[in-house]
Amino acid sequence: MESASIAAGHSDHDDHHGPPAANVSSRVEAQFLGMLLFIISEVMLFGAFFTAYFFIRVVAGSGWFPIDDVDLPKAIAGVNTAILISSSFTMHWALEGARNENRNALRVGLLTTALLGLSFLTIQINEYVHIGFAPSDNAQGTIFYSLTGLHGAHVFVGLTLLTFATVRAFRGHFTAKEHRGVEVPGIYWHFVDVMWIVVYSSVYLL
Amino acid sequence: MLNPLRSEQEAFRFLLYVIVVAAVVLGIVFAARALT
Repeated sequence: MESASIAAGHSDHDDHHGPPAANVSSRVEAQFLGMLLFIISEVMLFGAFFTAYFFIRVVAGSGWFPIDDVDLPKAIAGVNTAILISSSFTMHWALEGARNENRNALRVGLLTTALLGLSFLTIQINEYVHIGFAPSDNAQGTIFYSLTGLHGAHVFVGLTLLTFATVRAFRGHFTAKEHRGVEVPGIYWHFVDVMWIVVYSSVYLL
Repeated sequence: MLNPLRSEQEAFRFLLYVIVVAAVVLGIVFAARALT
């Protein structure tokens, strides 16, 4: 009898009132669980890099920049931080557009977010070119490039997701009820922004 | 309770909280450095 109800649950989800299907949890939504596990793994990845950073700076007492009169470009990185935070606001604006069936806000918001993210990456690459030290020069240089590079790689992934979402938005996809293709990149983009605030505060300012 | 993984709106609100907390922590550290 129970197996019949499970089978019925597979064929018609809307009218299903019995126990959950055998392969589906009744407590956690699959998409939410996937996002949760992904973000936890990301936090652990960044945690490993931050552990190395704090070891070099605090435990080993190796000191921090400026080293040999070479300092980190705090002002340029500050402008870059403002650009990235702005991009989270435009991302939120795009999502509000999707929720309110405002297609222009969705399209312009996504496009602006992608352009701001691209500006962030371009400025960071330019920073690497002119910064005056290499990852192999000392431990401080290694962890600086590792942390900011790890974050830059995440920005690149976020930009890729945003590009797909933007192209889909211009093709007329997404409605007020169905916009998961923008929602998930939006959560990811805010996560990348949060991580940058932690990186900028600890590496550049403190 | 705020859950930044549930929706973009909550993730955005979480980001705003992080900005405020980071600003407060930086303010305290800079003030402590200036006083010592």
